Amino acid sequence: MEIKFGGDFVVRKTPEQVYEFLVDPNRFCPLLPDYQSKEIVDDKNFVVKLSVGISHIRGTATVKLGLLEANPAKHAMYEGKADVPGGSATLRAGFDLESAAGGTKVVWSGQSNIVGRIASLAGGLLEPLAKKNIQKMIDELQKALA
Amino acid sequence: MARKKTKAVRAPGKKAAAARAGAIYSAKGPGKWVGQPIRRKEEDRLVRGKGIYVDDQKMPGMAHIRFVRSPFAHANIRSVDVSRAAEAPGVLCTLTGAEVAGLVQPFIEIGPEAGQKIADYPMAVNKVVYQGEPVAAVVADTRMAAEDAAELVEVDYEPLPPVMTAEDALKDETLVHPAMGTNRNWHGMFEYGDVEKAFRNAAHVVHIGRMHFHRFSSTPLENNGVIALWDSKADRIEFWSNNTFPAFAAQFLSPALGVRIDQIHMKSFDIGGGFGIKITNYPYMALCALASRKLGGKQVKWTETRTEHMLASAHGNERTFYDTKVALDKNGVMTALESRHVDDCGAYPRYEPLGCVIWAQVLPGAYRLRNVRIDMNQIVSNKCPVGPNRGYSRMQQLWFMERVLDICGHALGIATDEMRVRNYIRKSEMPYETPNGCVYDSGDYAGMLALGKKLIGWDAWKKKQAAARQEGRWIGIGIGSTLDSGTNNFGQARIINAGAPFSGQSKAALAKLDIYGEVVVSMGSVPQGQGHETTAAQTVAEVLNIPPDLVKVKPGFDTEQNVYTGHTGTYASQFAVTGLSAINGAAEKLKKEMARLAAWSLKAKEKDLEFGVGEQGPEVRVKGKKGKSINYWALANIVNVNNAEVPEELWDVTLNCRHVYHAPFHVPDLQRKFGNLTLTYAAQIHLAVVEVDRETFQPKILAYACVDDCGRAINPRIVQGQVHGCTAHGIGAALMENCAYDADGNLLASTFSDYTPITAMNMPDLLYGHIESPSPFTFNGAKGMGEGGAAPVHTISAALQDALYANGVIIEESHNNGDSIYRALERARAGEYAAMVRVEHRKAARAR
Repeated sequence: MEIKFGGDFVVRKTPEQVYEFLVDPNRFCPLLPDYQSKEIVDDKNFVVKLSVGISHIRGTATVKLGLLEANPAKHAMYEGKADVPGGSATLRAGFDLESAAGGTKVVWSGQSNIVGRIASLAGGLLEPLAKKNIQKMIDELQKALA
Repeated sequence: MARKKTKAVRAPGKKAAAARAGAIYSAKGPGKWVGQPIRRKEEDRLVRGKGIYVDDQKMPGMAHIRFVRSPFAHANIRSVDVSRAAEAPGVLCTLTGAEVAGLVQPFIEIGPEAGQKIADYPMAVNKVVYQGEPVAAVVADTRMAAEDAAELVEVDYEPLPPVMTAEDALKDETLVHPAMGTNRNWHGMFEYGDVEKAFRNAAHVVHIGRMHFHRFSSTPLENNGVIALWDSKADRIEFWSNNTFPAFAAQFLSPALGVRIDQIHMKSFDIGGGFGIKITNYPYMALCALASRKLGGKQVKWTETRTEHMLASAHGNERTFYDTKVALDKNGVMTALESRHVDDCGAYPRYEPLGCVIWAQVLPGAYRLRNVRIDMNQIVSNKCPVGPNRGYSRMQQLWFMERVLDICGHALGIATDEMRVRNYIRKSEMPYETPNGCVYDSGDYAGMLALGKKLIGWDAWKKKQAAARQEGRWIGIGIGSTLDSGTNNFGQARIINAGAPFSGQSKAALAKLDIYGEVVVSMGSVPQGQGHETTAAQTVAEVLNIPPDLVKVKPGFDTEQNVYTGHTGTYASQFAVTGLSAINGAAEKLKKEMARLAAWSLKAKEKDLEFGVGEQGPEVRVKGKKGKSINYWALANIVNVNNAEVPEELWDVTLNCRHVYHAPFHVPDLQRKFGNLTLTYAAQIHLAVVEVDRETFQPKILAYACVDDCGRAINPRIVQGQVHGCTAHGIGAALMENCAYDADGNLLASTFSDYTPITAMNMPDLLYGHIESPSPFTFNGAKGMGEGGAAPVHTISAALQDALYANGVIIEESHNNGDSIYRALERARAGEYAAMVRVEHRKAARAR
């Protein structure tokens, strides 16, 4: 099942500062929902462990995250792939940065594709849960950039 | 569609039809034991937990295999990394698709042309083609260790768009198997009679748009299971499995594993249900064997979980019906039908495309239709492969015929019971040859309907229905007429592929007087809950005039102990015919040998002997001469222990008698697709009263009746149990069970919570009736039974049609629940069904 999401917000940081934050795994990864730990493979690839679960399906998801596109002060896009209990998930999340009065407008968008038993077991729950978690991450991002 | 003018075909005479079917037997009444509702011999063992199933086998040193399965329905495999799993505690070895491809040949394909290009390995090699397909395996010393380690296998996939509908498959834009060059696995035109002429002369022509028969499965209590031992020293592979057609499985496994068929030892004991879908579990047997060989000859066990079963064992065939056109005379009698059918066999054909001809066993359903043109197609898709699920391929056709008849009846304003009576093949026309050469042996469909109407209280329900409609309630009364064709002629496989090395049908059995005088029978069948031990004992008891308790029937099946043929297995509703014919033949041979021996021993003539039970147990005695008898122990002793005095003319007496039953079949005419495809035709007529709740749209069964005619019932208690079982299965399929997928190829019912198989709590009270039309083509008058032809699916569709026709709804799906009925009503409000069913009333024909 495919879940699409997007939105924008404005922060009082320059596009350069926002970009540096977004591409720094030490600062960006802990914002991911239910973050446990991370392992930096190289400057563009890292492995993040997250606690995940819906109802009785609980466990740790190992997410391989890669910085797919990086255009300093303008654009960053992550691609992630995770084996979750009962399925597999792929994720693309992009951030476009525009100068705005007194700061930066962050236009974020992405899509996630969830396959496997988890989609059958919890298909109806996944979309609201994903949206809730993404909103949580964006809220944290806004706070961190405030 | 191709237009081919052929000579109009009328039903041939009864004699010609009977001659085509073979030997004619006169009807027998119930015997002393055959025909009696005795308790099942197996029950004591099974209900006390003494059954022995695959998973009950626990041997020291046995290894356990678990599979890593694809979450994707369609994806390229970039890499499979088993290194972490291989180092996990308890792990003995791993298998990957690449490794498997180097060890085995792809399984043989039954279909011709494009289908022959499919490389069906037991594990995905370069890409996965259905969700749940095995991509790797981990073998460990415990099941849990294997399970844990399997989670450590890393697979990198490149997702591809999946093919999830017949319409998408036919476009050939995305190919499931690129080597095929198409998704079309088989195509054939089945044309009989003069379709054009019938349409020209029709009083009414009804056009029906797309209809769809959904995927469901059988969900036996016991999932698939296998224990494999590849013993390289003994140069043999032993499979203890619950495969229900071992002779067929061995023919697939032997070339794939590169061994001779006699090196494969197949055995099973108790099997917790099968209903056809365990026939295609042989890929897992192959993987267990490969793991065993890799471990140097350890036993490797696999017991499937329920979720694995739902995802990746086998589903029933899904079929879509397009562009149906029906010609009817002024009385609503169908005179011609044309249609295009597309069957979806899932990712790998395996038993398919046999389903593309098996439906033709019941081509006209229970009706006198003579002019037919059906364009039959089969496609592959990114869904679980199908297996020959109970009612295999015929139920789809029967549902289609029932929907056609019902829709025509409603469209023409003819009551659905009357519509059926006008169209049914009549009792007086039996044996009846269908347009494609099948011979319906016997039956009284109108009589069964009359009994069913009486059972359910048809007239009273009609009044209640009318009153309820006044109150705004949606109540419908439906009829489902179905056939359970049994004892199939494998020659029909040649209609699919002229080079297929199959034809006819046979079963073997052995009856012997054991060394201490015990009567022992071993069957060439693979029982899985049908009560074979009991009906076999009844048959032998009838021959020898002893109680069935004195007949020991060996449970289970073993290729090294039982006698068998290449057709051995339990499928196609045939044990009462093929299995019991073989057993009866073996028992008669044994009786003859015992009589010869007894005549010598008693210094009497064979004609003066009788069989029975005396003071010293079962015996052979001289009629009317008290005390002049010999019991079975003494007879066995003469042959086996004390044989020095036996005269030479009796040296051929072994008291160990094998008999092979050959069904009287010929290879069909392949050009015309014409011939007798199956030997017997049991029938079931079901009736249901269903109400749709106006708030929730949930359908609820208010009354349900079924009438069965399986010819002479060998054991009416078993017959009734089987009818209950198949009715439950069908009601589940009609209202609850659906192997639905989403557009991405995710199975939406991979657990029982989602699939909701029927339970006793969902079953209505069943009103049961039974009539017997003995088959003239079987020695015991019996026909196959137990599959039931999915009668409830037809019946409930018909009842819903009756309930909602006034609202403009056409029941076009075989699965109907509250959600789908709500959507159907929405579609009706939007006027969509008006375009789906169109009726032409031909003035000229009416004037004539």
